[in-house]
Amino acid sequence: MRTVFATLLLALAATAAVAAPKDRGPQWASLTADQQQVLAPLQSDWPRMSKEQKVKWIGITKRYPAMKPEEQKRIQARMQNWVKLTPEQRWQAREHYRSIATKVAPDRKEQLRRYWAEYQSLSPDEKRMFDVPPSYVKPAERRQRVKQPKQEQPKPPFSLP
Amino acid sequence: MTDMNEQQFANWIRAALNNGARLNARILERLRVAREHALERRRVAPLGWREPAGELAGGESENIGGFGAFSLRVVLPMVLMIAGVVGIYRWQQEQRAAEAEQLDSQLLTDDLPIDAYLDRGFEAWLKKAANR
Repeated sequence: MRTVFATLLLALAATAAVAAPKDRGPQWASLTADQQQVLAPLQSDWPRMSKEQKVKWIGITKRYPAMKPEEQKRIQARMQNWVKLTPEQRWQAREHYRSIATKVAPDRKEQLRRYWAEYQSLSPDEKRMFDVPPSYVKPAERRQRVKQPKQEQPKPPFSLP
Repeated sequence: MTDMNEQQFANWIRAALNNGARLNARILERLRVAREHALERRRVAPLGWREPAGELAGGESENIGGFGAFSLRVVLPMVLMIAGVVGIYRWQQEQRAAEAEQLDSQLLTDDLPIDAYLDRGFEAWLKKAANR
């Protein structure tokens, strides 16, 4: 009887926790003037963001003063496009950033920019030849892939804000 | 020591105790009750876990048994376990948020545009270009 009572109590507590209204995080009006200025490109998207996303952006505003002027311009120019991406696209971009940018020595950044410019100059068909998983794909299969539409994007194992 | 000697020794101890322990009837009665309680509890203990309310006879059981003891034995560990799981989950969330904050601030200030990291072919192209 007591076990049943305790189980009921725990079930009630769990139900209450789940049924509680979801915390949407800080409102735009509650941000400081500096935070609003840094995050100005996100103002229209702010109400739709999750609490985790908002906390992350507020964290980024704390790093903002330490950034170089050109980095400050870049992040403000890019943040709106970033929030418009799907969680899968953001995950993919982070994974590629980890595997590309973090392995390149600072003195080779210029070379990386040149590679990107070179890649940009390829035709869409040529680019598609490289749109493959990292593992080796035989040339015949690559040619086949060129004719096929793009593969579905990989799903992230967990979601980051 | 032989069996006979042991028996004699035991008789000697019993006689000594009988002579020495000349207690009044009230104390003897209390000792008898205490001994019976001790024996009763000793008989019950090996049977394993029982409802705390039934473990002690009399008024003591009202304080030690009941829902209070049940809470200590069952509900409290469950609550602690749930609190632990929730704590670990929150810690993981915070770690992920901190990781995302650092990674995103680097990615969004990087020399290359976001498109470079969204393009799956670029990484393969880089490998090819690096091997040239």
